[in-house]
Amino acid sequence: MSAVIPTIAEAARQIAAKELSPVELTKDCLARVHALEDRLHAFVHLTEERALAEARAAEAAIMANGPSTPLHGVPIGLKDIVDTKGIPTTCQSKLLQNNLPDADATCAEKLAAAGAVLMGKLTTHEFADGGPSFDLPRPPARNPWNTDHFTAGSSSGTGAAVAAGMILCGIGTDTGGSIRGPAAYCGVAGLKPTYGLVSRAGVAPAAFSLDHIGPMAWTAEDCAIMLQALAGHDPRDPASADRPIPDYRAALGGGIKGLKVGVIHHFHETDHKVGDDTQRGISAAIETFRGLGAEIREVQLSPLGDWHACGSLISIVERAAAYEEWARTRLPDFGERMRTRLMLGAFVSGVDYLQAVRRRRELRAELRAAMAGLDVVLTAVFPNEPPKMDAVPKWDVFQQPSFMMPFNVAGYPAMSVCSGFGAKGLPLAIQLVGKPFREAIVLRIADAFEKATAFRDRRPLAA
Amino acid sequence: MPIDDAAFAYLLARAGLTLTEAEKAELKTVCDRVAAMAERVRKPRGRMAEPALTFGFAAKDLPDEDVR
Repeated sequence: MSAVIPTIAEAARQIAAKELSPVELTKDCLARVHALEDRLHAFVHLTEERALAEARAAEAAIMANGPSTPLHGVPIGLKDIVDTKGIPTTCQSKLLQNNLPDADATCAEKLAAAGAVLMGKLTTHEFADGGPSFDLPRPPARNPWNTDHFTAGSSSGTGAAVAAGMILCGIGTDTGGSIRGPAAYCGVAGLKPTYGLVSRAGVAPAAFSLDHIGPMAWTAEDCAIMLQALAGHDPRDPASADRPIPDYRAALGGGIKGLKVGVIHHFHETDHKVGDDTQRGISAAIETFRGLGAEIREVQLSPLGDWHACGSLISIVERAAAYEEWARTRLPDFGERMRTRLMLGAFVSGVDYLQAVRRRRELRAELRAAMAGLDVVLTAVFPNEPPKMDAVPKWDVFQQPSFMMPFNVAGYPAMSVCSGFGAKGLPLAIQLVGKPFREAIVLRIADAFEKATAFRDRRPLAA
Repeated sequence: MPIDDAAFAYLLARAGLTLTEAEKAELKTVCDRVAAMAERVRKPRGRMAEPALTFGFAAKDLPDEDVR
């Protein structure tokens, strides 16, 4: 097993130069899976034989014609709520243990078309909600930086597997922070794109109007490579946007001099005050951006609790509606956390829901106005380093408001970027938020930050 | 305002959910938190304020003669 885990960009360059074999790269990732999976529980279903076959096919094609995309021959994973033809898609639920989809989700199809090598299906919280849970068919994923600690979720397996180098990138989904949360706690990069940029077709719903599909990888550049393969109109998704797709990677490396970064200080300093380590990370990041020539501004929005209440009500109702039939007939078959979330739907009236949706329009308009003249806004992802697995409250939705939910409510692109390490040696993160369909700017700023800091040089001990 | 037993039972029955006594007891402890969220999204906005989820007709929704 190689001591060095390449980024996608590095691997792609070496593959194109015929210095790295996709088969050897895949075997290296499989060796990490075999060495670490007992401790990390990142995989629900490993597709080892298929991965090796795909790697061999990629290698033959590349030797004949060169790589078709930077993902050609690169090992990836898919969160286990993403449909995969002929491969079990269980959503980590007892209800779907025998589910064998007859078609790929669009995101799976696109990654396959880009030549990626599928390593398997990754651990998720049940139907992408709740967690960590110990009463599901498979155990919850563990944080590679310290396996006593939480990965966050629900794209928990993707976060753990990318950080540990079991895969070079993976699919996450995000309804209230499920890409950005595990990216933050596992110390990787995770981008929730604009609502409608990446197709939701074939992915189990959590909450229809809040669900986003997106890339998780070691760096912002790798997220750009992955987003290039994923973005685009899909008639199978009624929310899919029909827009031109820019070259995300080409937007990187131009520096950020003159770009305008707004800081939503009150979110993380007053509305939900973060811990000292996180605050230091945010302050240092702001100074890094200033040093790179960005202009820093103050941004004021409605209190974080308003955004959280709006998104949570919508999420509770849309989830309850999606799973109502099973909730009525097979409630005990859900895990405890998902079961309790589904029960909450009984206590939100139709009028409550629509008031939340009216509030959503107001909040989106507010964010649009606040971001006029800005390129991105910045706030926290989490208040502190990852908690221990047994210290995650069951009713976290009613604890402090989430820093991530506002951008599911708004549908704006938002990214988690590693901003250092706390006193326990666990990752910290900042959140960068762009205007709709301006992922290229978010990625450019994140990439500049990563290159100006040394946080991408350090991998977890478990890797 | 805490939810009373009759209202609690009615809402669960209306949702078609069959819960254990322990689940009911736990759920009761958070009902007021849901209600607080629902109050929080209510603002004086009048009757004309639109929700975020409205829709327009795309070309594919229109009769062929209108598209032409």
